[in-house]
Amino acid sequence: MGLPGFYLRRAYSLFRGEVLVLPSRVAVFIFALGVLLLPLFSQDPYLLRILIFTSIFAILAASWDLLSGFTGQMNFGHALFFGVAAYCTALLNLRLDLPPWISIPLGALGAVLAGLIIGIPCLRLRGTYLALTTLAFPIILMGVIFAIPDITGGELGLSGIDRLSGSRLTDYYITSVLMLGLGFIMWKITDSKTGIILHAIREDEVAVRSSGINTTRYKLLAFCLSGFFAGIAGGLYAHIMRTAGPSTLEVALSFQIVIWAVFGGIVSIYGPIAGVFILFPLLEFLRIMPKIRMLVFAFIVLVTLLYMPQGLIPWLRDKIEKECPRCKIRNVTTRKTCRICTAELD
Amino acid sequence: MKKSIFGWSVLMAVCFVMTIGSLAWGADDIKIGVIGPMQFTQGEGHWNGATLAAEEINKKGGIQVGNTWLPIKLVKVDSNEFLSVPDATNAMELAISRHKVNFLIGGFRTEAVLVMQDIAMDNKKIFIGCGAAHPKLCSRVKENYDRYKYWFRVTPINSRYLVKVDFILLGMVAKIMAMELKIPKIKVAIVAEKAVWCDPIVGIAQKNLPKMGMEVVGVWRPSPVATDVTAELSAIQSSGAHIIFTSFSSSVGITFAKQWGELQVPAAAVGINVEAQKDGFWAATGGKGNYTLTINTYARVRITDVTIAFFDKYSKRFKGAPNYTAGTYEAVYVLADAIEKADSLDPDKIVKAMEKTKRLGTAGTLVFDKTHDVTWGPGFVTAVGTQWQNGANKCVWPLNWQNITYEGAVPYVIPPWVVAHYKK
Repeated sequence: MGLPGFYLRRAYSLFRGEVLVLPSRVAVFIFALGVLLLPLFSQDPYLLRILIFTSIFAILAASWDLLSGFTGQMNFGHALFFGVAAYCTALLNLRLDLPPWISIPLGALGAVLAGLIIGIPCLRLRGTYLALTTLAFPIILMGVIFAIPDITGGELGLSGIDRLSGSRLTDYYITSVLMLGLGFIMWKITDSKTGIILHAIREDEVAVRSSGINTTRYKLLAFCLSGFFAGIAGGLYAHIMRTAGPSTLEVALSFQIVIWAVFGGIVSIYGPIAGVFILFPLLEFLRIMPKIRMLVFAFIVLVTLLYMPQGLIPWLRDKIEKECPRCKIRNVTTRKTCRICTAELD
Repeated sequence: MKKSIFGWSVLMAVCFVMTIGSLAWGADDIKIGVIGPMQFTQGEGHWNGATLAAEEINKKGGIQVGNTWLPIKLVKVDSNEFLSVPDATNAMELAISRHKVNFLIGGFRTEAVLVMQDIAMDNKKIFIGCGAAHPKLCSRVKENYDRYKYWFRVTPINSRYLVKVDFILLGMVAKIMAMELKIPKIKVAIVAEKAVWCDPIVGIAQKNLPKMGMEVVGVWRPSPVATDVTAELSAIQSSGAHIIFTSFSSSVGITFAKQWGELQVPAAAVGINVEAQKDGFWAATGGKGNYTLTINTYARVRITDVTIAFFDKYSKRFKGAPNYTAGTYEAVYVLADAIEKADSLDPDKIVKAMEKTKRLGTAGTLVFDKTHDVTWGPGFVTAVGTQWQNGANKCVWPLNWQNITYEGAVPYVIPPWVVAHYKK
């Protein structure tokens, strides 16, 4: 077998040790596989379009979770990052003729800059005050956009942007692979030392500061990281829609992001992604009852959150997995002892 | 067991063939997707206008293509474009790829229509705009004809001409007031809701009114959803304005008209007031909106031979006067005429036929210009000015304008309290 065999065996043992041990990870694996293999079964343009938007908004919702869920910096104006990146991407593509693979990351850097600009004045604020201040920023930016229509296109926005790629299928693969990849990176960030510090800041900032950690720097980092991922989503959106308009900064979009994330379950990254993958196609499906579409949608969200206040995915996860009381590692519910420390689980 | 499996297989195969077959049977009609914000009055107008036209055409047997008569089948597509632009584009894709519509009519919010237009052009589907007024939608045809030639606009006239009509109405009222009330120099108060679309109108008014021999006494920008504008009205009264030049598209139009009538502010209200275009305006203002003048698309006057018949039929069927998105009525007829002239369902041939359209429509003679936009001007579509006069929304313009008077149009009436104030 030689070297390839060695790596294959290694990959399999990694897969068995890291993925197959927990049902939630198996579910994520099946989901990723399903997303990648779906075009083998259907290439319906409408279905692919819905899933392209779903992937874009999934990145956006997960990026909100990184900032507001993990770090506790309640951001009610997350559309700002999305809109800034959409406009930057559009301008770079239209004015400098940059292709999408350059304009999107540069647009995302624009969103990082926006993260810095709003992060610095917001660092002194907490809770409701922070939420209300962040809510104001997209509204302020919208005012700026209307004030300089020669650059921003005013109420029409910028149109005529290049396509992301030549075909719907390629668009689908670019967005879905990016969604899976960026989702994984965000999850790894939250699982890293930095992630633990971000989590700790949310729980007790004073305690973190007393441990000698510069929380200001970490909170700013959270704003920038969240802005970057949201910016990638904004850039993708601009190239898919071929337009970047004021709707990318609307308050309604900011709230939609919160609804998706809270529905799926915050402080998990995959919760908001699942939230978008359930709610966005659901809203499309509800076109079969146009008159009460929004009502039914709101009812489903309300009932779910009434019975599952932590969100749908954590609720499901808690049904199939339990946490070890000693080492806090998750185990499948059928186990009697922890898979790591062998402590009794019940 | 084997027999039952065989039986089920045959049944499934028959179902499959019938399903496929039913798609083929679907080709025996012409599917027109009516796309708009269906939960709002604009979308209702889209659907109602198209329904009326489709029923009339189907009653005559449908559209003749070769030796076959094909009935029109309308597909209602809710774009939800006021609330979500992606929703609107998904709806467009749904109409094209799932409902397999042959043609599309409708659209309202320009930002959404621009994207919807691109999707239609990608699929080479003829898309007739019946709601968005921005010139950019049509300038794209000029910039890239081969791609955007499938786009046409039937209603409204583009925003440049809407503004032009707006100023014509203002000029008309100013002239009447100057003559009848012997006012040497008309003073104008500009009142526009705090919305982006009003900004250029305010700018143009401030620049042009002095050139028109009028004096601007001030600019007031209430919220589009203001429920009290008495402060603004009191200030306007103090400013000595003779005319209030309005630009309202939202509910503030009702608040303003109602309080203007209640306070009997001695200044005539003229301009754009979308709420005053609706039948419910009289009841909503409790009759206090009497004498409000607004730009409009339809009025019960003889714009052409077919206008009054259409207006009455629409009002009777849908319990209200048509708004401008009901121009889908014209769009369906334009399409039907072009299909018959092209004698084909090939979009390229239909586009060529549509470009030659000269139709005596309900809002005027419909001719497309080189950008596939509806032509504005005397002898074409002009729009109308309507004034509420004792419970009826009457056409007051065009009346002897460029030798045009629509039969049924009545003279503009200066509000009696304004007359009383200046004739003291």
